Amino acid sequence: MKRKTFILSILSILVIVSLIFTSACSTSSTSGANSSTAANSTPQVITLNLAGENNTIDPNRASWTSERTIIIQCFDGLLTFNSDLTLAPMVAKEIPTVANKDISADGKTYTIKLKNNVTWSDGTKVTAKDFVFSFKRLFSPDLASEYESFYSDVVGGDAYFSATGKTDAEKQALQDAIGVRAVDDYTLEIKLTDSLPTFTQLLALWPVFPVRQDMVAKYGDKWAQPDANGAMPNYIGNGPFILKEWVQQDHYTLVRNEKYWGTKPKLTQITFKELTDANLALAAYKAGELDQSGVPGGTEQTTMNDATLSPQILRFPTLTTYAFQFNVTKPPFDNKLLRQALACAIDRSAYINQVRHGVGKVALSWIPPGMPGFDATLGTDWSFNPTKAKQLLAQAGYPDGKGLPELKFQIANTGANPTIAAFLQGQLKDNLGINLTVELMESKAYSALYNAKQFTWGFTGWGADYPDPDDWLPQLYMTGAGNNKTGYSNPAFDAISKQALAELDNTKRLQLWAQAQAMVVADQPMIYVFNRETFVLQKPWVKGMVTSGLDGNVAGDTFLRNVYIQK
Amino acid sequence: MGRFIIRRVLWLILVLFVVLLITFILMHLVPGGPWDREKALAPKVIEALNKRYGLDLPLWRQFVNYAWGVLHGDLGISYSYSDRTVVSILAHGIPKTATLGILAFVVAQAIGIPFGVAAALKQNSAVDYASVLFSTVFASIPGFVLGILLIVLFAVVLHWLPTSGWGSIQQLIMPVFCLAALPAAQSARITRASTLDVMRQDYVRTARSKGIMESTVRVRHIFRNSLIPVVTVAGPELANLITGSFIIENLFAIPGVGRLFVQGIFARDYTLIMGGVLFYAITIALLNLVVDILYAAIDPRIRYE
Repeated sequence: MKRKTFILSILSILVIVSLIFTSACSTSSTSGANSSTAANSTPQVITLNLAGENNTIDPNRASWTSERTIIIQCFDGLLTFNSDLTLAPMVAKEIPTVANKDISADGKTYTIKLKNNVTWSDGTKVTAKDFVFSFKRLFSPDLASEYESFYSDVVGGDAYFSATGKTDAEKQALQDAIGVRAVDDYTLEIKLTDSLPTFTQLLALWPVFPVRQDMVAKYGDKWAQPDANGAMPNYIGNGPFILKEWVQQDHYTLVRNEKYWGTKPKLTQITFKELTDANLALAAYKAGELDQSGVPGGTEQTTMNDATLSPQILRFPTLTTYAFQFNVTKPPFDNKLLRQALACAIDRSAYINQVRHGVGKVALSWIPPGMPGFDATLGTDWSFNPTKAKQLLAQAGYPDGKGLPELKFQIANTGANPTIAAFLQGQLKDNLGINLTVELMESKAYSALYNAKQFTWGFTGWGADYPDPDDWLPQLYMTGAGNNKTGYSNPAFDAISKQALAELDNTKRLQLWAQAQAMVVADQPMIYVFNRETFVLQKPWVKGMVTSGLDGNVAGDTFLRNVYIQK
Repeated sequence: MGRFIIRRVLWLILVLFVVLLITFILMHLVPGGPWDREKALAPKVIEALNKRYGLDLPLWRQFVNYAWGVLHGDLGISYSYSDRTVVSILAHGIPKTATLGILAFVVAQAIGIPFGVAAALKQNSAVDYASVLFSTVFASIPGFVLGILLIVLFAVVLHWLPTSGWGSIQQLIMPVFCLAALPAAQSARITRASTLDVMRQDYVRTARSKGIMESTVRVRHIFRNSLIPVVTVAGPELANLITGSFIIENLFAIPGVGRLFVQGIFARDYTLIMGGVLFYAITIALLNLVVDILYAAIDPRIRYE
């Protein structure tokens, strides 16, 4: 090769580099504070961290908390939650009850009257048809919504959802047969196959928020996706904020919906960044680029000792319980006395105080504090008591651990999991003299093993989709239920659960669930360990923050519409 | 020369096919699929999702469909990034990752090569010791440690630079430096060793004995010949930098392909994994070809017929 061509090729590489560079840099623009009202001198803008990347923000398809964080700012459902997690009407005029005749006496027909002043962000009215469309789309087999199974009780929903291999005409017929219809513009009727009093809670969740039929007809599933520049022109909602921009893997910009039908929020702009590295998020917070941030796991104590940061700590319990769950179908964990012995051998408060620096709360039963169904007295029989643990171990047929086969514990190798496995190992050794083999696994490999029920003993967590025992007990402990991985099967529990699921009298319903939970806790198919507590830093100028047990990665995301900035 | 390049490119196509096939097989051998989560999805939901993404077909059909798509420039759609096409995901990520990689490469060579040459020409001097110290320090500090140190110093304490993100020159400085540190150290060491080696060659002595000016000897006889091992290493190094670093992109929140690819593996996002592997393979193969061509340009003894 000649030297001239060599130089020429070097030059052309340089030109290409500079082209790439300029095009790459021009695509994303930094978004600053733009539209602060003249009346208020402090710009009402906030920057938060989503701490994750979303797959979809289509309400009918979304299933993760960080997806919900965006959706609930942009859409209002029929009902919503108050900060104490009771229900409140939103687009619906009132909460449907049997007393106000919105729920039929058999509990199977819901007739919901809608407010007539609710508008989309483009000014058009929200009507019952928008909800009908959303419900029918949720059940579409082609959409494959992950939360469809929550709404299985709607007449015809499952039949349509399962029609994956059918012809378009057959699918259309099944879609038409779904028991959701608009009686008139402001009356929605939903028919259920069985009485399900907690259906009202499901009406407050994002999968059945209203969706614009014209947008879906025009753009298909892409209606909820950004264009090449990150703009979201087709993502029309009826909520207090409008999603202006979604620069994927970078940030979201939401602006106030100036045509919002309800009380307008005080914030004019919310930016959600997608910083996935906890150390980076904290640095960005300290550098003033974020108004709220988590702290890297294990640094809570350091943060509490820091004179500048400690007054900025925001802590509150979230509705999540963590447990060591057994496969009760396989020996040796099919032995109830052995499970109880192991439960008594674990000093949960040592874990909270020494490993987690006091962040979190000891759990002795499944349903967490702060929601209906929590019972502080439950499970105290199986709290930490080494003497009792030894007695139970002997009763189980393994005095001093003699004759016990090798105990194996599987756990996904993510976050703080290796620490909790090491803690469990230490507790069993110290308090019962038992050796535990820990098997750390890649997270998908662990999930596959776990879903196939091939594990022996594992670690699990459960967070509330909605604050009711319906979301906590039948899903995990009824014989053969979808999330029953322990293989727990108790006919008495099944019978009581079926009764509770359909019971329209709320007091009686909760009494039935209390009995059901007591049965499970006595059987210890899981050892309950701790409830999660959110621990974040927040700048002092963020005011009006209301936190709740339903909050996701962003503390206070459920009630951001009340937040304002005061510097 | 032209024939050599054509032959190499034809080989490349075969290699890519084999790489894709092996990746496809390995991907499906690994336990856990895209819908495996701790909070289980209902079987009917998994069935609908498989249907939606064509995962209900027999594996051989999935591969044939995929390979057919690749031939038509269609790399499928991602199931963990909102049904975006893999082509559009790569098209968004590659320019950013490549910009970082190329800048880091230029910085690394601009520091490493002169440092290495200077160290060799003045062996056992202060410059030489400084070069050894530099190489040892930057070859042993992991990127994420260096990154955090830089962020704390320049963003948190001094407020000179933004912590992270993409879009401005200031945001490039720290990640480029983090990426360049290790290759700069390696380049300095290799250049030093190879320059020392060339300096002792007979033809250098011959050149000097002919009375050629020292500067000419250094540039034409020593420097040019000592570049061969440097170029050999530079090819794969550039490929490595262009394909991105998960750690650096994650730490500095850069929406590049390095991060996407690793997250694709965690999510078992099959199409994204295949697209990533394809990009890696093509980049590495092409840069190796470039290195081979450069050999001929630098070393008069190498000719491709």
